[in-house]
Amino acid sequence: MNFEDLQKAWQSQDAGAQVTINADILLKEVRRNQQQFRATIFWRDVREVGVAFLLTLFFLHQGMRHHDWADYLVAFAGFGVGTFMVLDRLLQRRKQPVSNDSLKACIESSLLQVNHQIWLLKNIFWWYLLPFAAALGISICYSTWPARNSGFPAVIVGVISALFLALLYWGIYWLNQCAVRRALDPRRQELETLLAGLE
Amino acid sequence: MTAQEQETIFRRWLEEHLGLMLKVVRGCATAPQDQDDLFQDVLLQLWSSIPAFRGEAKETTWIYRVAFNTALAWRRVERRRRERHETFLKLDASPRAQPSHVDLLPEQEIVERLYAAIRQLPKVDVSLALMHLDGLSYQEMAEVLGISENYVGVKLNRIRKQLAEQLKGAPDEL
Repeated sequence: MNFEDLQKAWQSQDAGAQVTINADILLKEVRRNQQQFRATIFWRDVREVGVAFLLTLFFLHQGMRHHDWADYLVAFAGFGVGTFMVLDRLLQRRKQPVSNDSLKACIESSLLQVNHQIWLLKNIFWWYLLPFAAALGISICYSTWPARNSGFPAVIVGVISALFLALLYWGIYWLNQCAVRRALDPRRQELETLLAGLE
Repeated sequence: MTAQEQETIFRRWLEEHLGLMLKVVRGCATAPQDQDDLFQDVLLQLWSSIPAFRGEAKETTWIYRVAFNTALAWRRVERRRRERHETFLKLDASPRAQPSHVDLLPEQEIVERLYAAIRQLPKVDVSLALMHLDGLSYQEMAEVLGISENYVGVKLNRIRKQLAEQLKGAPDEL
């Protein structure tokens, strides 16, 4: 049997005959799925960017209440991180793959996105953890410094706060590096393999 | 484009090109649940793509692009979480639609073997094999994939050999 015969057999199959579709329910489901997808993206953005802006508001409020410049510093760090995330999201949204692009163009833009995500997570220390850590560190030192003469307990409180923060930040950093190793690196390799198949 | 126009186009595409979409889905996913999930994703992407459709590309080329891009981005593990409210899809449970390699017409058996062979190919080659079997021209295939026609030719030669290799030993000397 040659290829033309295979092609003939292939084209004679009536794939659609094996399926009955209720178009009305389907349309309802497609619309619901689309809304669900949009809601998921929206709430993910709100969750991630929202935390930074909530911290900003909280420390801004604290600073105004106590007239404490160290709180303003943390609020400023939160605002900076939140703004960076919003700008990054806006820029990346423009580069999102379009499903009706050619396969190659779609794979290329997906690869760019995955590479950008990897870059973000690998550098999370610099754009997310360090601004908060530095501002919070200064704030802790500033608030415990006046109590330095009140003896050992004040120092202990300062050290425990610093250790707690360090542990929390290490946890965040570790989780993000895990995400790169387990999800993003394999995806990048998969996309690179696909792209290599087209080059 | 109004919502009504979008709906009209979607319904027409479903009516005219359902077979094409199902072939892509069957070529890219094996388990029925995966096929179901992928099919839903293809329909969702197709629906979203309609407002961008200006009729410059052929409808089949457009649908192939959307379906293949969705299939390439689709990942089995992630999709298992999907919830469905209502069933819109009914698979025909008749023996004719449930190939068991027993009592199958020769042509049906060939098609089943072809699907099995196609699923063994690298993902990008699956798309080329499906389009080639459906009789698309080199130009159309190049357009869907974003590569040159020459390269389509080179790849198709390789794919034909691979498929022939996999189909060796089939009844009637496939």
